Amino acid sequence: MSGLNEDEIRTLAKSVNLDIKNSDITDVAHSLNAMLEAIAQINPEGINSVEPLPIILNKRD
Amino acid sequence: MSSNELIYMSAAELADKIKEKQISPVEVIRAYLDRIAVVDDKVNAFITVMADEALDAARQSEADVIAGSIKGPLHGVPVGVKDQIYTNGTRTSSASKIREDFVPDFDATVVKGLKRSGAIILGKLNMTEFAMGDPITSAFGVTRNPWDLTRNPGTSSTGSGAATASFMCATSLGEDTGGSVRGPAANCGLVGIRPSWGRVSRYGVDGASWSLDTIGPISRTVEDCALTLGAIAGFDENDHYTKDLPVPDYRSALTGDVKGIRVGLVKEFLDPKVMGVTDAVRQGVLDAVEILEGLGAKVEEISIPLAPIAGVASRIISAVERSSLHPEWLRENLEDFHHNTRVAFTTGELIPSQVYYKAQKIRTLVRKQALDALDKYDVLAMPGASEPATVMNLEPGIKSKEAAIQALTEASYRGFFSLVSGPALSVGCGFTKIGDTRLPLGIQIAGKPFDESTVMNVAFAYQQNTSWHLERPPL
Repeated sequence: MSGLNEDEIRTLAKSVNLDIKNSDITDVAHSLNAMLEAIAQINPEGINSVEPLPIILNKRD
Repeated sequence: MSSNELIYMSAAELADKIKEKQISPVEVIRAYLDRIAVVDDKVNAFITVMADEALDAARQSEADVIAGSIKGPLHGVPVGVKDQIYTNGTRTSSASKIREDFVPDFDATVVKGLKRSGAIILGKLNMTEFAMGDPITSAFGVTRNPWDLTRNPGTSSTGSGAATASFMCATSLGEDTGGSVRGPAANCGLVGIRPSWGRVSRYGVDGASWSLDTIGPISRTVEDCALTLGAIAGFDENDHYTKDLPVPDYRSALTGDVKGIRVGLVKEFLDPKVMGVTDAVRQGVLDAVEILEGLGAKVEEISIPLAPIAGVASRIISAVERSSLHPEWLRENLEDFHHNTRVAFTTGELIPSQVYYKAQKIRTLVRKQALDALDKYDVLAMPGASEPATVMNLEPGIKSKEAAIQALTEASYRGFFSLVSGPALSVGCGFTKIGDTRLPLGIQIAGKPFDESTVMNVAFAYQQNTSWHLERPPL
């Protein structure tokens, strides 16, 4: 998986009204692409049918 | 009694001697303040030392003792508090320039709990900025490991670990999202417990990740951990996710009897090919469980296949949740972050929602495997990290994507039980020698949700039959 390049990351950031400093972009790319690549490789049995952990509300709620 | 005798006592011993009028809270606080004056230049564990407030509280504490009124089990005991936990009238900075002038006008629920138990707040402890990343991110300087000042004291409750290990407080509070209590406990040769999520209120704490954050004690002994946890645990109207369950008398539950206790040794974390565990850590854990077996515990190896991926899920969840807490900071205070923290916050903002959702689904699967294991075993045991404290990297930045992926894998050691939401504790299990330096090792013991008593009793039994916790760093 090649990951997002710096231009793509800047565009993504623009979508949430965020500017990325020039001095940060390389490290943001490393960090973000690491997470995207790592989770893309995780597909345990049952992942498509399980629901996320529910919020367990206090009985008052 | 000399200052050294006082600072080397456990919190439990101090509380007993104060109650019996053998020592005064005032002399205890003075001894600790003297210790801080001598040692903290080297370690940098404190952001704010509350000398005047602590002495005032100690005088009142002394007057209470003379009047025969003991507030609680920690009466007169000096406690350090991680600087993301609110203290009324005292700066609470989260180790960031952004919060350097923030003074809360109320105490966190856990601070109220400490005060109700009679504890004296000695000061606010250093940490990594917003409980993320490495010691270099703190706006108040790097905190150092008392066992080797070039090494990492464990993150993110760096000051809680370093201050407790170097006898600058009797016990302390940290905050654990993905291991931030257990890490400093392991690196500094201490005991730290991440309680079950919902056991301790998060109200009045600058949050890191709402669904993973817990506040927990870091202490020199399991008994002190039990006392401190007892002071802060319980339902809180201000934190809707705290459980309305009675708080056991954790100290009384420390019988040291582990006959028949079933211990599941998580084999994935002991396999160098799977998780990269070093020989020293692996042997330390194996030696520790052998001691438990000698005390009558039944130890068996168990496989939890999804445990090694827990770090990826926990880091993604915490990255998103953390950056969502104060999005305005990343837009209005960009220059006030440390580079590494700013990168981490930015990353959290950019993680796609489907990725966060997948991470939460992985969490459900990991949790199920752990809870299924805990149906068969009373506790699970594993290392808390692949290696002992490392030499600190004092340069900002991330070397490469591959280095970042490696960090996600390493995060599984502690992220695993963060995802489970049950209690997990680190207790010192020996030392390893690297060059001329002796470095602590830790074993992690984890249990069923809200069964802190069993987890701490197993650790207590181990600690009572070893003497690692009596060793002192060369300061």
